[in-house]
Amino acid sequence: MEISVDRANEVLIAKVEGRIDGANAREFEDALNGAIAEDDSKVLLDFGALSYISSAGLRVILLIARLLQKRNAAFALCSLSDPIREVFEISGFDKIISIHDTQAEAVDKIGQ
Amino acid sequence: MTQTPYKILVVDDEPDLEHLMRQRLRRDVRSGQYTLFFAQNGVEALERLSEIPDIDMVLSDINMPRMDGLTLLAQIPNIAPDIRAVVVSAYGDMKNIRTAMNRGAFDFITKPIDFQDLRVTIERTLKNMEEWREALESRDKLVRLQNELNVASKMQQSILPTEFPDSDHCTIFANMEPAREVGGDFFDVFPLPGGRIGLAIADVSDKGVPAALFMMSSRTLLKGSAIGAMDPGAVLKEVNDLLTEENEAAMFVTTFYAVYTPETGQVDYANGGHNPPLVVHPDGSSTLLPGTDGMALGVFPGVEFGQSAISVSPGDLLVLYTDGVTEAMNADGEEFGMDRLQAVFSDSPPATTEEANKAVFKAVHDFAGETAQSDDITCVTVLQR
Repeated sequence: MEISVDRANEVLIAKVEGRIDGANAREFEDALNGAIAEDDSKVLLDFGALSYISSAGLRVILLIARLLQKRNAAFALCSLSDPIREVFEISGFDKIISIHDTQAEAVDKIGQ
Repeated sequence: MTQTPYKILVVDDEPDLEHLMRQRLRRDVRSGQYTLFFAQNGVEALERLSEIPDIDMVLSDINMPRMDGLTLLAQIPNIAPDIRAVVVSAYGDMKNIRTAMNRGAFDFITKPIDFQDLRVTIERTLKNMEEWREALESRDKLVRLQNELNVASKMQQSILPTEFPDSDHCTIFANMEPAREVGGDFFDVFPLPGGRIGLAIADVSDKGVPAALFMMSSRTLLKGSAIGAMDPGAVLKEVNDLLTEENEAAMFVTTFYAVYTPETGQVDYANGGHNPPLVVHPDGSSTLLPGTDGMALGVFPGVEFGQSAISVSPGDLLVLYTDGVTEAMNADGEEFGMDRLQAVFSDSPPATTEEANKAVFKAVHDFAGETAQSDDITCVTVLQR
């Protein structure tokens, strides 16, 4: 699992590569918490290069979503592959986290 | 180092040594680093070791009357097994030094004693002993934790049902293989009024002890709610509201819950973010249960859960499973997947539910090969007769 961070239109974009499972979920959580600055008000996770996410990974997404919600910060995901999108759909997480097809669309939406 | 001074026993037959040691190490003694004890030969040393059981280190000469240092070394483990011994030998006396080391001496210094070297040797010896003690403590802690985990594992397995309904209308089987000592998956099969049966399968985010605790409370809440309400959607709603009340850790549990009526084959169900169960027909074909509006439990308070119903015919096999089945990996990093699960039954639908479960677990294990199981694997099967 690798995370690379970029900023565009005041949106923090964290691109996640590889897999997130029980073995590295904690590491993923720490990496995201480290990447997101106190004053970041718009956060986008780009899952274009994510190959797998387990329920432990979903839990980290939920923790981050809650944290950002408390701060009134925007949070979204983009570029999910079909299997990853299915994980979000089956678990119902797509109902509480906005998911966009492309990074450009997502930045456009939450960057406003 | 620590607050209590380390106790060092110096064994030497030279009467002047005690005075010299006290003189040279006085600063270390005064600052509370060491306390020194003295003995003039091996016999006396053993006596002191018996009197003062918490001596940390022995510094011993080799040639002494009554009992020499090498004999003393051989005796020490009987009295104080964890003690560190350092021998003082004549310069170049490799034969005795080797014997001493073979008898468990930690280090040696040579005569005439260089007190700077002695101080360094003492430091190193005590540090080693400290680390050894910490390692022992960690080992004991680990053993204790392992024992507690084994108990937790037994407790957890014991709340999962092992006896299942077997009647003219249906037969049911279920089992779980946790990836670690304790798991986050659970299933439940319990009688409801009117000859109906409650069927549940669930998967807590993450594994290990936190997941197991969350699993225990989820399971209790689910059963409690299920007995009070007949609508699966209402049951999941109630459990969800209870679980979201205090959930700082953001744990959640995907849950499929069904009220099954064996007499008619009616299955009323609600899916809270869980993998869609499968209905395998007698010809080996299978269909997935359509989702109901819902999400994993524990995530969001106040969510409404939809429900739906299907009817199973005689010969139909209902298969509930967790993602430990479909996401089991092989050495190439491939997932077992839905297609392989459906293929388990495509040629020969099993005659009993126990066989059905065995077939699923065997297919998953055969597929995974040597690859370690990373998630709990759970399967519940219901055969309509």
